[in-house]
Amino acid sequence: MLTAAGFQVLLAVASGHTHGYAVMRFVEELTGGRVRLGPGTLYRTIARLVADDVVTESETHDPSAPHDARRRYYQLTALGEQAVREESEQLARMVDAARTAGLLDPQRRTA
Amino acid sequence: MTAQRPLGLGTHIFVPDADAAVEFYRAAFGATELIRHHLPDGRILFVELAFGPDKLLLSQEIPELDARAPASVGGSPVMLLLELDDVDTTFAGAIARGATVERPVAEMFWGERYGIVRDPFGHRWALCTRRELLAPDQVAERVPNQEAEIASWADARLESGD
Repeated sequence: MLTAAGFQVLLAVASGHTHGYAVMRFVEELTGGRVRLGPGTLYRTIARLVADDVVTESETHDPSAPHDARRRYYQLTALGEQAVREESEQLARMVDAARTAGLLDPQRRTA
Repeated sequence: MTAQRPLGLGTHIFVPDADAAVEFYRAAFGATELIRHHLPDGRILFVELAFGPDKLLLSQEIPELDARAPASVGGSPVMLLLELDDVDTTFAGAIARGATVERPVAEMFWGERYGIVRDPFGHRWALCTRRELLAPDQVAERVPNQEAEIASWADARLESGD
């Protein structure tokens, strides 16, 4: 089961934002600043995703760097790719329902 | 003045042996370790564990900081609730790893399969699996209202050897 922060991190990595800082910036920009993953949340979220085998640390990081999730690079595992696809499809169904319910501006491209 | 709307609620427990507790909660209850901080002398200050979407903070007992584990305060008045897909397997696994039975797993009137263990560090855990999706008024209809039924509950607890 993915938490909201877990999905945001997987979405960032799937979009090519594979560095911890880039993940934080991506999520902040995507949400118009409403969601800010601080370094503590980023670290915890990634620790959880790594333990659940949906994300791995990629080999390109500097092994001498301090253990800081913001300075490291990540990639999706096959399981992570499947998880983020399934969650995206589920969210898309909710967005479709929101549109049908008249909750979204029909002119605005959201999906 | 009205109370603020809280942003969240967490649980922080104290254990006599933090390393052993982390290993037990990982192996028996499927916890994932997220963060670990030590005091300068090497003792564990706290470990943050994830259980599904929820988190538990765990610290080593440090009496000089008034951080005491259940045995040091004569027991625990708190129960931790852990929902699982298969309560029986987890219950048996916890016992095999040194927990003791407080209440054997049984079907409960509120729609869960449910049992209680005391872990090796003195904390009480109610383990459960949802069986029926009941509305609150359906549960209310099933609450035991006979003294004999309530007494049989107490008997089950005594027979479990606690």
